[in-house]
Amino acid sequence: MRPEGRLTPPPPSSSGLREFSEQTEVGGIFLQALMRRQLRLSLGVAAVFFAFLAAQPLLSTVWKPWTRWDVTGVPVTWVVLGVLSYPLLVWLGRHYVRRAEEVDEEFTDLLR
Amino acid sequence: MSPSLAAVLGLVAMALISILAGLFARRYSRTTSDFMVAARAVPPRINAAAISGEYLSAASFLGVAGLVMQFGYDVLWYPVGYAAGYLLLLLFVAGPLRRFGAYTIPDFAEGRFDSPRFRRLAVVLVLVIGFFYALPQMKAAGLTVETASGLPYWVGVVAVAVVVVTAVTGGGMRGITLVQSLQFAAKIFAISLPAFLLLLHFGGPGTPFAPARGQLVRLPASTTYRVTRGELWQLPRATSVDVEGEALVLWSREDPVRAPGAVTAEVGDTPAPSSPVRGSKHLLLFGQQRIPAGTLVWDSNAAVLVPKGQPAPFGSATPAASTASWSAPFGPLAGGSGHPLLFTYSLILAIVLGTIGLPHILVRFYTNPDARAARRTALLVLVLLGAFYIWPPVFGALGRALDPSLYGNNLTDAVVLVLPSLLGGWLGQLLLAVVAAGAFAAFTSTLSGLLVSLAGALGHDVYGRWLRPAASPHRRRVAFQVAAVGAGGLAAALGLMVSQFDISVLVGWAFAIAASSFFPLLVLGIWWPRLTTRAAALGVALGGGTATLAIVTTMVATLSPQVEDFLARSSGLAVILAQPAIVTVPLAFATMVLGSLLRPGPPPGVASKLVQLHAPELLGLRSDYIPE
Repeated sequence: MRPEGRLTPPPPSSSGLREFSEQTEVGGIFLQALMRRQLRLSLGVAAVFFAFLAAQPLLSTVWKPWTRWDVTGVPVTWVVLGVLSYPLLVWLGRHYVRRAEEVDEEFTDLLR
Repeated sequence: MSPSLAAVLGLVAMALISILAGLFARRYSRTTSDFMVAARAVPPRINAAAISGEYLSAASFLGVAGLVMQFGYDVLWYPVGYAAGYLLLLLFVAGPLRRFGAYTIPDFAEGRFDSPRFRRLAVVLVLVIGFFYALPQMKAAGLTVETASGLPYWVGVVAVAVVVVTAVTGGGMRGITLVQSLQFAAKIFAISLPAFLLLLHFGGPGTPFAPARGQLVRLPASTTYRVTRGELWQLPRATSVDVEGEALVLWSREDPVRAPGAVTAEVGDTPAPSSPVRGSKHLLLFGQQRIPAGTLVWDSNAAVLVPKGQPAPFGSATPAASTASWSAPFGPLAGGSGHPLLFTYSLILAIVLGTIGLPHILVRFYTNPDARAARRTALLVLVLLGAFYIWPPVFGALGRALDPSLYGNNLTDAVVLVLPSLLGGWLGQLLLAVVAAGAFAAFTSTLSGLLVSLAGALGHDVYGRWLRPAASPHRRRVAFQVAAVGAGGLAAALGLMVSQFDISVLVGWAFAIAASSFFPLLVLGIWWPRLTTRAAALGVALGGGTATLAIVTTMVATLSPQVEDFLARSSGLAVILAQPAIVTVPLAFATMVLGSLLRPGPPPGVASKLVQLHAPELLGLRSDYIPE
């Protein structure tokens, strides 16, 4: 996690929660910071998976040899797309859930 | 395919289990909240199984395997895209949507923008998407019962409608949550066990690729085809046949692999076989004969024996591609479009984005207790779908090697139902019963989810919020039940009329409409404070409207020769109309963003809505849009 992704609000106090729930200007800044961190996390994870998907047709276009490789008789292209995609999806999903919950918790600590 | 007692038993058993589970849940479902969102008490594990059960429709259980058998590698994008949709749902929608705490997606549309008119627009789209999605399930029900048991098409449609309406009116969302999670278990068992045993028995996963990389498919056993007048065959090589009696055919030399008909044979498309082919001649076939490679149209009904080891004839639905082309990227599906890379990218986009907009899936996240549970549910759905989607391509690939006669008979859609009997004996029959039960679970679980969504839109949004806002909770629940019976009956009636449309094509259309309307609404509504009500409504109407229009044009084209002629002359337009998401999704996004920037003025109270969507539950600020 990069430092600029962290929240840098005024010193935490119990009034933070009130500012937030009453949507004062300060509360709005809190909310914006939270949404920005969550959105950045989501976009990052989505980018990784789309890169994985988009790279395959591109590779098949510019570097044909990989379409002729096989493992135990099954083309590597089939294994990568039809099998490996799913563990990757689960791994990315798990990473996201952990990080998103961390962000939520840090934010809660901050306001309390 | 011959009727089978085992298959009928499998179907009946699954129907009974579904009805009994639905009736059992009836005892626990009393309040409106039970019926709409299962009292918001479903734990992630059960909800994930129910969502996966609901999502794995006939298109996934039967359709994907059939498409892989027809088109090979390029079809793998479908199952991967179907699963990947849930990653995006997890990343951008699941948590905030649950925090909002509504009953339906029209609730979200009204609540987020404080606009009752927005609800009405959203209800119309929920109904359109719901019915588009319900029709192919009905068709699959009719087909499965017809092919597996020999009973008429309408029996399957009516049986499924009865089972689903019973489960939904009895227990509402709470009832079908139980039924659907059971049905998921049935489906994953029914697809993985037979596929695994087939792999063991027929020599491992390399079987479909090993003998014939680069070659054409040969028949593993002598096969008798019963052809009807007007049927089209593509013969990739000279083929020996034995015709019973005599038969007249119209033959032409065109290389079927490169014939235009082979390339444009889109998913589920049946080119008109009567069109005369250039350089063609009539042949009279009788007894044993060798027909040169080419395309032929049967001019009379006949029984034709093609001996073992001959190249398998291909029907009109599948391009007669070599195994090398079938197993490689940009094969007959993507390669045929002329722009394989662009085609593949647009396919990925349409499939992945469509999932996020499906209202009957989205409402399920309201049944979780909080956002944390909703996120965990979406993650578990990824695990369950991954475990399922590995198997349908196995069926499709094995089908090419083990029963290529399905190509000639245009029966590739039935490959999952056909292969288990190749194991022979009692094991084959048992597995046949298992896959038939799995197929029945596939369309009933999807239909019951759709019915909750349709009945929710009619009973809750139209009756409870729009027509009679003062109705008592009891009357609201009765309205939900009446709407469920009405919508189920209507879907069954329509289901009897859609037999000429392809299952996966119809489902694809529902995806396209959802991707162009609810997907942009949710993503921008959750993450972009400056979105204005006017721009959001315009975007939903424009995106959903153009997608629907494009699809209706394609449907009309299959019925009207003039429109079809026109589309045949402008192929670019035809591709976009048949797969409109690539244009309509950006259109909806652009409308929403530009509209909001040009005439700024987000709805009043947008800050409190965003707090509702994004504030972690731990803060204790929680307020559901519809409390309990």
